[in-house]
Amino acid sequence: MERQAVARSRRAPAIRRILTPYLFLLPALGLLAAFTFYPVALGTVLSLFEYNVIAPPRFAGLANFRALWSDRYFWIALENSVTYLAVVPVLQGCAILLALWVHRSARGLGWLRAAYYLPVVTSIVVVGMLWRWLYDDAGLVNYLLLQLRLLHGPVHWLSDPGIALYAVMFVTLWKGLGYYMVIYLAGLEAIPPTFAEAAAIDGAGPAQQLWRVTLPLLRPSILLATTLSAISALRVFEEVYVMTGGGPIYATYTMFYYMFDQAFGALHLGYAAAIGVVLAAVTIGLSVANFKLLREGGLAYY
Amino acid sequence: MTRSLVALVMALLLASGVARAAPQARVEFWTISLQPFFTGYIQGLINRYEHDHPGVAIRWIDVPAQAIDQKLLAAIAGGVSPDVVNLNTEGALRLAQAHALADLDAAVPPAARARYFPNIWGATRYLGRVYGIPWYVVPNVLAYNRALFRRAGLDPAHPPASEEAFIQAATAIKERTGVYGFMPNVDGIRFLRVFQEDGLPILSPDGHRAVFNGPDHVRVLARYVALFARDVFPRDTLQRGYLGATERYAAGQLAMLTTGPQFLLRVRTDSPDVYRDTAVAPYPLGRGRILDLPTMSLAVPLASRHRPEAVEFALFVTNDPNQLAFCHLVVIFPSTRGAAADPYFTRGGATPEERARVIAARELGSARDLTVAVPHSDDLFRVFREAVERAFFGRMTPQQALDWAVGEWNGKL
Repeated sequence: MERQAVARSRRAPAIRRILTPYLFLLPALGLLAAFTFYPVALGTVLSLFEYNVIAPPRFAGLANFRALWSDRYFWIALENSVTYLAVVPVLQGCAILLALWVHRSARGLGWLRAAYYLPVVTSIVVVGMLWRWLYDDAGLVNYLLLQLRLLHGPVHWLSDPGIALYAVMFVTLWKGLGYYMVIYLAGLEAIPPTFAEAAAIDGAGPAQQLWRVTLPLLRPSILLATTLSAISALRVFEEVYVMTGGGPIYATYTMFYYMFDQAFGALHLGYAAAIGVVLAAVTIGLSVANFKLLREGGLAYY
Repeated sequence: MTRSLVALVMALLLASGVARAAPQARVEFWTISLQPFFTGYIQGLINRYEHDHPGVAIRWIDVPAQAIDQKLLAAIAGGVSPDVVNLNTEGALRLAQAHALADLDAAVPPAARARYFPNIWGATRYLGRVYGIPWYVVPNVLAYNRALFRRAGLDPAHPPASEEAFIQAATAIKERTGVYGFMPNVDGIRFLRVFQEDGLPILSPDGHRAVFNGPDHVRVLARYVALFARDVFPRDTLQRGYLGATERYAAGQLAMLTTGPQFLLRVRTDSPDVYRDTAVAPYPLGRGRILDLPTMSLAVPLASRHRPEAVEFALFVTNDPNQLAFCHLVVIFPSTRGAAADPYFTRGGATPEERARVIAARELGSARDLTVAVPHSDDLFRVFREAVERAFFGRMTPQQALDWAVGEWNGKL
């Protein structure tokens, strides 16, 4: 009798020990399942259907994907989205330099960090409208360039088919800088100063220190930031929607924009889901490649 | 004691149930951006209707113009469809193509149908059936800045009356003042309207072939392309459309604005100075002498649970006296003959607004909504937009661009 009770009381903590972490995870898992896993699965399945919200979905097999293959706007959008990835290296380079500067010389100057972070927390719609004014033919950017006599006439930043995409990319860069700077700052804080001191004693100059010590130690942060940045570059939408509407001549038409148009403009939800699946495949492929390339490094590496 | 209390409560509950009378039909009514300016008018309609129809309760929801399509889809998909929805012609046609709307040619008795102008009744006709009861019509007007007219040496008392004069005035204003004269409505697919205003067809009579690459079409497009190249209208015209034009006009940086009169309310609130210098005149007609009549309709979704009540309420909202009262509140035009025959629309006046009203009202019987109804409209319109923009940015000649677009259209029609 007594032994049984002891056994039970011993067994109970064992079960509880196994169960407890799952119970802690349950709320988050439940939310994820309802709002992420289920829509992802449903969206993937939907890509095999013809669906316009109003009529019940009709199975179409791979017809959506075959149609994509011969859809000129899909290829235009894909090309623009891939071009948009050029933001990533430039953005990360700038963010690292900024983080180094803020970390080293402006330690304690919290307001400086706050200033760089301000664009991140500003609504993208406000940012887009602001930049639309700045980019206007009579806007500040053209005004400055004309005053400095760098131009003969205004540049049509957002209405020249050859320039618009890059102009929008610059806004993404400007807006993202602070966010990635913070990631790199955290990475830099985690590097003990002893590494730099040791390198200095060994006679490494600042460039060598940066290239051979700081950057390799920062690699986990770079991996994280480039992956996040590439994902958001591939799914850019708001900047384009507010600033150019996909034009001129579809020069800023991105995958996400096309998906939006097909889903909510044309009511081709199955087709939009197929675009989403392709976009997801590209994103996953890119992230895997990124991980392969940048996995090594960090403190553990040394 | 307790038992008698329970009995009392039960009796009260029963009594209240009886007092509520017959089964209620809850008709949900969606409008586009009518609050807050017209809250009183719409609520008045609803109150009167509910008073005369004790079995029907109207639930009114006002939706912003940009959100209506998505909200409507979400409501239909969620099984909580509204019963009467205010849609513009483009939205009604798109939903009709998706088989979301009830056929109103069938649902509305011929006697009631005869009250509307036949050309306006047909605004939402797709494959021979009509999907919206026309409510009000908002033809564009010409608003112009008299101060800028004077600066350019033009007579503010004689605004341009034709497309030709309109272009010439715009060119003169740009040359003499440096301020842009106009932002023509050529963005997106609106060049389809420019063609029609010049009397040029978009489709063959049977609707199975695109024909907008004839020599006259090419000439019209080439003309605007040349104006664009000469910087007679601003670069962002192609992207910003009427919103950009309204903004520029309100900033005093545009001399003429062809737009729905409702946008003048925005000018009035944004810049009273410019509004004070503004005069309104009839829309300068193209060579075809055709006035576009953008029409707001009331559609009944197939998913509505109270279709007969919905149709009946929509007919009430659009009847002669109710339309006439609405037209007195704001510069819109009625879709019914009876309302349009009122002296308010036939009696001339001294002010440009009054003249504009009489001229526009005269067109109600013959003009129509120039929205093009084609299957696969989204695909076709995407191609058309690209072709026109390619021509404007010199990536194709107007001939090449229109030939290419017609080829793509004919592959899908």
